[in-house]
Amino acid sequence: MIGSPDLVAFTKDDDFGETDVDPCLLPDEFSVPLFTHAGNSNPWSKTSYAKFARDFILISEFSEQVGPQPLLTIPDESKVCGTFDLNYFSLRIMSVDYQASFVGHPPGCNYPKLNFVEDSKVVLGDSKEGAFAYVHHLTLYDLEARGFVRPFCMAYISADESKIMQQFQQLSTEFSKASEWLKTGNRKAFASELVKKLKDLEYTRTVLHKETELQKKNSGCYSTQVIDKANELANVEKSIYEHKDLLRQITSYPSRKRIDCEFPQESDDPATSAEMDKKATPTECSPEVSPEAITGKRRPSYTPQLIKGKSAKCFDKRLKTLEELCDSYFFHQTMEQLRLIESAFRGDLCHIYTNQISQALLKKQKITNFLYEVYNDWEDEAVSKPSFAGNLPPPTPLLLGAPQSPEAVHADLDAETSVEKPQEAELTESSPSDLTQENSDEGTDAEMKVSSGSSGESVDAAGPERPERHSEAEAVPQAFCPDVVEGNAAGTVDDGEDNDERVSATDSPSPEHNRASYQSAIHEQEPSVKVDGDMGGDEPKSPGLTQDLDLTGDSVLQASTMVQADASCCMGQEKLQYEEPSPELAENGFPDRVVKREPQSCLQGDLTLGKAVTAEDSPAVPNALNSDGLSDDMFRMNLDDLSDATSFMSASTNSDRLSSPCHYSNPVTLKQKKRAGQNALRFIRQYPFSQQAIFCVLTGRTLVVLGADERTVRKLVNALSIFVPNLGKYGETVQPWLSCPFQLTDLQNWKIIGLHRMASPTGSSMLHSLNRYARYIGVLDADQKTLRCPPYRGSLIGNMANHRTQIKRGSTYFMHVQCMLTQLYSKAFLYTFCHHLHLPISLSEDQETVASRRSSFLHQQLGYNEEDSKMIQFLSELIKQSYLQGPGRMVHPPGFCFSYIPSFVHKI
Amino acid sequence: MSSGCPPQSPAVAKTEVSLEGESPMLAATFAYWDNILGPRVRHIWAPRSEEPLLLSDGEITFLANHTLNGEILRSAECGAVDVKFFVLAEKGVIIVSLIFDGELKGDKNTCALSLILPQTELPFYLPLHTVCVERLKHIIRKGRIWMKKGYSIVSVLTSEIVPIMELLASMKAHSVPEDIHIKDTVLNDDDIGDSCHEDFLHKAISSHLQTCGCSMVVGSNPDKVNKIVRTLCLFLTPAERKCSRLCRAESSFRYDTGLFVQGLLKDSTGSFVLPFRQVLYSPYPTTHIDVDVNTVKQMPPCHEHTYNQRRYMRSELSALWKAASEDDIGPETVIHADETFTPDLNVFQDVMHKDTLVKSFLDEVFLLKPGLGLRSTFLAQFLLLLHRRALTLLKYIEDETQKGKKPFRSLRSLKADLDLPVEGDLSIVMAMAEKLKAGLHSFVFGKSFYTSVQERDVLMSF
Repeated sequence: MIGSPDLVAFTKDDDFGETDVDPCLLPDEFSVPLFTHAGNSNPWSKTSYAKFARDFILISEFSEQVGPQPLLTIPDESKVCGTFDLNYFSLRIMSVDYQASFVGHPPGCNYPKLNFVEDSKVVLGDSKEGAFAYVHHLTLYDLEARGFVRPFCMAYISADESKIMQQFQQLSTEFSKASEWLKTGNRKAFASELVKKLKDLEYTRTVLHKETELQKKNSGCYSTQVIDKANELANVEKSIYEHKDLLRQITSYPSRKRIDCEFPQESDDPATSAEMDKKATPTECSPEVSPEAITGKRRPSYTPQLIKGKSAKCFDKRLKTLEELCDSYFFHQTMEQLRLIESAFRGDLCHIYTNQISQALLKKQKITNFLYEVYNDWEDEAVSKPSFAGNLPPPTPLLLGAPQSPEAVHADLDAETSVEKPQEAELTESSPSDLTQENSDEGTDAEMKVSSGSSGESVDAAGPERPERHSEAEAVPQAFCPDVVEGNAAGTVDDGEDNDERVSATDSPSPEHNRASYQSAIHEQEPSVKVDGDMGGDEPKSPGLTQDLDLTGDSVLQASTMVQADASCCMGQEKLQYEEPSPELAENGFPDRVVKREPQSCLQGDLTLGKAVTAEDSPAVPNALNSDGLSDDMFRMNLDDLSDATSFMSASTNSDRLSSPCHYSNPVTLKQKKRAGQNALRFIRQYPFSQQAIFCVLTGRTLVVLGADERTVRKLVNALSIFVPNLGKYGETVQPWLSCPFQLTDLQNWKIIGLHRMASPTGSSMLHSLNRYARYIGVLDADQKTLRCPPYRGSLIGNMANHRTQIKRGSTYFMHVQCMLTQLYSKAFLYTFCHHLHLPISLSEDQETVASRRSSFLHQQLGYNEEDSKMIQFLSELIKQSYLQGPGRMVHPPGFCFSYIPSFVHKI
Repeated sequence: MSSGCPPQSPAVAKTEVSLEGESPMLAATFAYWDNILGPRVRHIWAPRSEEPLLLSDGEITFLANHTLNGEILRSAECGAVDVKFFVLAEKGVIIVSLIFDGELKGDKNTCALSLILPQTELPFYLPLHTVCVERLKHIIRKGRIWMKKGYSIVSVLTSEIVPIMELLASMKAHSVPEDIHIKDTVLNDDDIGDSCHEDFLHKAISSHLQTCGCSMVVGSNPDKVNKIVRTLCLFLTPAERKCSRLCRAESSFRYDTGLFVQGLLKDSTGSFVLPFRQVLYSPYPTTHIDVDVNTVKQMPPCHEHTYNQRRYMRSELSALWKAASEDDIGPETVIHADETFTPDLNVFQDVMHKDTLVKSFLDEVFLLKPGLGLRSTFLAQFLLLLHRRALTLLKYIEDETQKGKKPFRSLRSLKADLDLPVEGDLSIVMAMAEKLKAGLHSFVFGKSFYTSVQERDVLMSF
């Protein structure tokens, strides 16, 4: 007997325990949620339900055998894709009938026509999976494929839909470049394959012809076998005709397509095209022409094979892989470009977008960028740079160090120098992660900078020597040569701290990058190699230098050029200034020359200069590394001036100086600055006198960080470096660790010096000297945790260095400091260019009135006290110098200033 | 018109739309996936033109069919509207498709509403993509209800497609250029107050920034209106400028939802009628600036605006759902009230928060001599500062809440740590951060409108 409990299972869910639903109530599927972020969702969660960890690039193919299939992902790590179903998504993105262009036998034509279809771009998504994609469809050619075409797509997959649409144009541009690489390589490979096939066919024809003739003799003209052979021969003839036509088509790739496509073009160069045509044309007439004529590459000679009458069935044959479809060099360039794309678009959209906006704004405020902004494209326009080649694309801000135009390389390959080219090109490329913040030109020469000597001294000292033997364009590249050569000769790799830091600064473990690091490591040990040889040579200088040690501050002033300080900023103060380079002589900027350097030309440099170079090492070396505006002659002149004016604080050997690791080889990046933010945050929390220390830095007073422990000192220097105005492209105004006595000019050129406290007579002599110059500098004792410098009673620094801050992360703190510094230099800009502030309004006004007006502006208009005003005045002075010198030139720090304000010792 | 009788003829129904000026759009189409015939175009909207169009009806149909290809695999949640975007170089067109499910003849079908433009219009269209998509998404919500009830969706879609065509045509002729020269703006005056009252300018720019750069400028004199429009646009990004519109001297445009800044001309009676619904549907709150009487009013902050907007949308959809017949409620009908929600029609309020950021900027920028590029540089520095501050604030909140995993409870610390003690300054930076991370206001100030008001009171007490 069936009881009621048994029936329960057969009732509908809706009928059991459910209350009636009001039919007038709008169902959820037709409504909108009341809150944009309901439940546990939040502004960050829209990307959290995707099944993949971060954005990636997927290459898929619509295979004629198995349908849509994923081929590879970038990055090629399984954890990136997670549990995301690549097969399903490939199916989705490849099922878009995106072109519907005719491929195959056109009506009225009995042989196949290649259709050069243009790429299609599609943005689509799967809202259920939380995956959205920019999909770039392209078609490659394959002789074995149906209709000779293989449809592929490259997809940038992200969980953030708005990112795809907002960055659509940039994605489109960059993927077009990758596609162009791939297609160019494919055309080469296809042409090469056609040539081989033609050879096979020719060979087959010959064999068949012979066989037919033989059978004619044996069994007469009308035997079945002879007729079959004749038919077969006719088929081969037809096939030869068709393949020749295909070869003609692929080698005369329509220039319209090349012009139309977004990729910067190449072989509009008629010579290249003509060369291509010339090489292609004989092939049509004579299939015996080797494939090298088409590809420009010398390959192993090809042995023709007999082709069977019937080709393999569709599903029996193995389709070529993507790599096989494309010339290997071009394939690797494509992969490199895709890696760059992945790197450039990695991360949260808000950071990418703000960075793009910031870069655009920075270009409008070039005059103040040198103060605190990381070197980037804004500087490119200031300093014009010749390009590598006439047809090279302009630098792309988005992807730095991207491979150059495929067509340009194509031309190179045609020139039969191609065997080495790829290797060279790889050598000169930077890893993607290095290049995300810098422009492409910078990216291109980043490797060179890495390969340059890491010691600023050795690099710069070489500068003056070069012009005697080399042209301007060659001079600086060669300046790096001794390092390269000696580094290689040494044959050892220094795994020192600096090198490790550089490696960890990049996320990409690409082989190129490893190579860069390796080179860098080689060069880093360079100074120590030279030191051994230079020690003796420099020793005799010491007595004379020791004599200089006794000079007092006053005598220093006498030795220097005394100029009247500008009333706008240093009223009543005396300045120690060096002669400014004349604008005429300073036209050829240093960065120009760095870019065009080639490793080989470096090797040609006179190696004998190595020692002389080191011997001429000058105190102004770090500065000179970036003395952008100086010609070599002028530069040398300046060095002479400097050495004349130099007073050594103690016995100093250049070898000692060289042994201290410098870090001028790479431009300072935003990433490094953000990392420094962590140290800065720790510093302001641990040291109650942090504001005083920052005040020193912001007023141009050199801060010496003294300590016995290198790690501690370096951290402190690193922390304070984010506040240093005019840090320099390479951070050359900061010396993180110096274990040797330094010179007086160093105090002027370096704004923060990490100094090793040595328990030796030299060490005590150094301390004595520091005390003597206390009126010019601040001394932060890391061991005793004291700071000796003038007091700070302003409010501006309080906003950026509050020890009670709740900011949790160093990078966030850096961003906050960056905001405050932006505000600060904006005020300095206002002060510098404020109308009627610096000049007498009427003839009756004297300098005092003007000075009082300036002071009143700072105090009343801007509301700053004495100390805050000083910071503004210092920054204003730098802006003024930069403005007068013109863009792209190094702004030298103002000379030492007397300060009658007493210094205090601040303690924890 | 009932959808119970689909057109028997294979010919596709077509609506020609008369537009003033050049239309960048080639056509709009509504297509659906027929279970027997596959993709099928149901309706085409095309601008009326004497010259032959770039695409024939056949080609439009072909392209519209394309948009549904692959959608047989669609596995979206019911009610979801997915956006697809095609750039077909071979055809020289771009297509924007919104894919959704709807009931036709009692069956659930996958449908596509598409806009087709020439590829040459890509740079013109991209900044306006979000505006078009958001507006179309909402009309699709209404259309789905209409389809569910067995009515034709075409009339509902027409009510939004025609205005979008008009919007694109108006933007073609009157959009704000990407690069604005400072000499065309108030910031080129010799001194503050030369063109307009000092406090008015400060209020206008401050409120404009507090409402995420979304403003409408109303006045009788087109030159005056446009000067303020350009001035406000100086504070926008180039893409946002391309999504802003100058006023037309001859006659006013209609208010368009989604534009950042738009100039609107008063009629001969000296008034401009604002459509409540459209203003409320704007993605961000809006500042109302009247250059005739120098008044500045603003809508409530983002989270309140979003809350009001959502409630109104739900009411509107509910009213449609409850409508007994097609004639009962037309697609253009404005929902004024229902049982649960009475919108506050007085959406514009006085600017509550004073700021120091804009104040000091305006005080200082006029100290620089005009015409030398100094003011442009100073403006760039100001904007850079705002963008950086917004990102810093975002990062701060991200750190504090572990990317939203924990609620944000330390507004006081944020203000102290990021040097944002003044309410107006915080509002400006928050508004900029909202554009970077949508939903930030709701997250920070609480989810409900009522909570947010309390939060705001608390905020004001700091």
